[in-house]
Amino acid sequence: MRWGMVVNLSKCVRCYACIAACRIEHFLPMGVSWPRLVALETGIERPTVSNYSVRCNHCKNAPCVSVCPTGATFQRNDGIIMIDQNKCVGCRYCVIACPYQNRTFVSKDKDRGFFPGRIQTDFEKAGKKRYPHQVGTTEKCNFCVERIDEGTKQGLTPGKDRDATPACVNTCPARALTFGNLDDPDSEISKLIRENEGFQLHPEYDTDPSIYFIDRGIGSNQALRKSEDTRQESIATGGSK
Amino acid sequence: MTKNIVKTTCKSCHGGCGVLVTVEDGVITHIEGNPDTPTRGTMCSKGLSSIQHINHPDRLLYPLKRAGKRGEGKWERISWDKALDIIETKMKDSIARYGASSIAVSQGTGRGYNEYTHRFARSIGTANIITPGYVCHSPRLGLYGLVTGNGRLYCDYHGWGGEYPKTSISWAKQLEISSADSEMAVWFLESLKHVKNLIVIDPRETALSSRATLWLQIRPGTDAALALAMINVIINEGLWDKEFVDKWTYGFDKLKERVQEYTPERAAKITWLKADDIVKAARLFAIDTPGCIQFGSSLERQANCGQTLRAVICLLGVTGNIERPGSMMSWMPPASGLREDFFTEIPITDEMRKGIVGAGDFRMGAARTAHSDSVIKQLLKGDSIIKVWFSVGGQQIIHLANTTEVIKGLNNVEFLIHADQFMGPMAEIADIVLPAAHWLEIDDIYDMHPRFMIEAHNKVVDPPGEAWQDSKIFNEIGKRVAPQYWFENVEKMLDYQLRKANITWKQFSEMGFLARMGKDQIYYKYKTDFWRKGGGFPTPTGKMELYSTVLEKLGYDPLPYFREPGESPYSTPELAKEYPLILSTGYRQPFYFLSQYRNIPWLRSFQQDPTMQIHPDTARKYGIEDGDWAWIESPRGKIKQRARLFPGIHPGVVMATANCFYPEDPGPLHGLTRSNPNVLTSNNHFDPMYGSPDLTALLCKVSRAPDGD
Repeated sequence: MRWGMVVNLSKCVRCYACIAACRIEHFLPMGVSWPRLVALETGIERPTVSNYSVRCNHCKNAPCVSVCPTGATFQRNDGIIMIDQNKCVGCRYCVIACPYQNRTFVSKDKDRGFFPGRIQTDFEKAGKKRYPHQVGTTEKCNFCVERIDEGTKQGLTPGKDRDATPACVNTCPARALTFGNLDDPDSEISKLIRENEGFQLHPEYDTDPSIYFIDRGIGSNQALRKSEDTRQESIATGGSK
Repeated sequence: MTKNIVKTTCKSCHGGCGVLVTVEDGVITHIEGNPDTPTRGTMCSKGLSSIQHINHPDRLLYPLKRAGKRGEGKWERISWDKALDIIETKMKDSIARYGASSIAVSQGTGRGYNEYTHRFARSIGTANIITPGYVCHSPRLGLYGLVTGNGRLYCDYHGWGGEYPKTSISWAKQLEISSADSEMAVWFLESLKHVKNLIVIDPRETALSSRATLWLQIRPGTDAALALAMINVIINEGLWDKEFVDKWTYGFDKLKERVQEYTPERAAKITWLKADDIVKAARLFAIDTPGCIQFGSSLERQANCGQTLRAVICLLGVTGNIERPGSMMSWMPPASGLREDFFTEIPITDEMRKGIVGAGDFRMGAARTAHSDSVIKQLLKGDSIIKVWFSVGGQQIIHLANTTEVIKGLNNVEFLIHADQFMGPMAEIADIVLPAAHWLEIDDIYDMHPRFMIEAHNKVVDPPGEAWQDSKIFNEIGKRVAPQYWFENVEKMLDYQLRKANITWKQFSEMGFLARMGKDQIYYKYKTDFWRKGGGFPTPTGKMELYSTVLEKLGYDPLPYFREPGESPYSTPELAKEYPLILSTGYRQPFYFLSQYRNIPWLRSFQQDPTMQIHPDTARKYGIEDGDWAWIESPRGKIKQRARLFPGIHPGVVMATANCFYPEDPGPLHGLTRSNPNVLTSNNHFDPMYGSPDLTALLCKVSRAPDGD
């Protein structure tokens, strides 16, 4: 069992819903964002716009785990990397060790509230009780472990059943995110990775992330156009003339 | 602890996504999409961030009466009774002295309160309704109506007729993010997995265009030339839908003659596209059918809007992409009928029509509503027909062309009433400000653009202070000024709107939505007696009118043509020497909705400052680096936005963020003139049919602006 995610770059439209849903799900402090959107334009003649919805990669060989001096950061058997807020001393070794920059140190200025110096909203007050965040510790995406654990207890399957699936996956209007078990070759994500040349970010770091990306074209000609080569015309245009 | 989950419908854009809201001890603690609705549990950043919106400390709580000079920011809190008394007296007085047309009713985007603004205006006897419709959606509805007899055509993304679009054109549109029609975005994105060819027509590269079959990087404002050249190719190569054209269209030969002027080579020069790409697009669309075209309102924000849309609709006609599964459909409404019936049941009389500002000039656009820019011009000249302006939601002060003149004009309104949730620039210059409720705080009926579904907005929490929902505001003022048309209370008014479906509001509220989907929709209506006995379209000729007999009668060219924007390197070459770049104000962000949400911290965190896209080569030429503040200037004025160097935009085009102001800046203007591109737009060159100004095709120059200036 190893939980993982596929981000489909040909579907993501950079709507920021994943970030908003995460902020609500975990009552995140105003200055903290577990997922991020990285917009990338590649190519010179014909730029390709890509939107990378990124978050903790839950790496199999996680540098954050090995550098943590207190054992606050650890990996569960299902691959999820967790941080025990009570053990974290805020040394930030992990923030530096993460080659993907997916960890945030919650400093005071990141927890000034939605409307600093004015009001604390009822939602924030509810969040303080329900999902406390500790200034002086480090945070990151936990794959909505609460939903996974609670859902699994009820016999639900993460990635299939909404109540056991991460909030960002559920909300995505483009259906660009897919969640599931990487160890199961028949799971939807395993198939997606296999059939679409799924890739991990920076494989050269040898971290073996649990998040894969796929990038295909839209339409029946699924191969992503890579050049301006006009010989690659689709069949329809072969018509008259 | 009490905990319950309320099902309702999001209206953070035009709306339509079903949502589930968790309330614990009276506090909203969670919000997410409802999987058991047609949007299948998805929700975007705008809707989700409603949590900050409803809790916002700047919400308007009480009716306010201006206590100082206009725009001075001095207010006196008054009761609703007092506010309604003042409004009633002002309106009745104005009707008695100048006639009912002296009252204007304005709104923002059409978001389910359309029915109330229009009914209210008609009920008191005025058709001077000011809406952004003429730069967004109304022209296409009017022209679909003119050409096919039925005013609402939408892409069939649903596959209910057994087919999905094989070729999908996204024309001047980013349905996937651009604010409106969220529910349609979900379906559009879903349909892409069935699509064979995706064609994106946009001056800029996007995530979708990067992966599309074909991307046409068009010069803003030249879409008509592209459409006409595509028809040229389709006709001259014999690729048109012969059966449909022969049997069901009118004027094909005349259209054929007209498009001969628009060879792909000539169109390539006009549009800055490659002739080969135009040919390729035409062939894909004609051969790989069915196909649909998702229009964007940038086609309607140009002064050749009417004929541009006519050309694109003719393209649908010659390819037979009307009423066929997977093409453009006019959906049948659910059992409750069209929600517009709620206002069309009060007809516009000849007297009302005579009083419409701009009616003589724009015979398509100003037939049922006023021409906004003409209203502003009258106010500037001091001969305004409009004396009392009742504004709900929208901020004309931001979205109308030529902000400097708009501000002056609006300051000349004798009496301005504005209902809103925050003290924005439009509220600041009002005489009476009314506090309005958010969609999480109202009971109402939502009707989506394609009209095959209505949904329930169920009140989740009480509005703050004394804020009222829009429908109640209209009903209470309506009861005082035109009582015969209004209702005892909002619930009775909602019951009335649902009566054709034989359900009450309470029942509908439980149901959540009422839709006509799947097998309940009828395709190929023109082949049956649906519109006409023996088949055909409900037009004067009984056919789809490629050659418009109605336009001919109104004195417009019955065939589509291309006309250069009012300002362009070709129409005004002298001006282009000083202002060498083309400016489009069509840049939208997925987390803002027009002028809304810059005061919502979660959403503002995604982009702090208004941003313009500019090609790196162009930026370099003017000494601008990524992230710099840059001046953008036109003959009307100058603004500044952050420069985003973007290789995916044409080097000759600058794309500025529209409709922006800084809510945190001091009133009355809240930084409105600092970055809003309407400071630059012209209100002197209009579409002859609709009066739409060139908002997306102008000339400008850019330079680096010092920080903090």
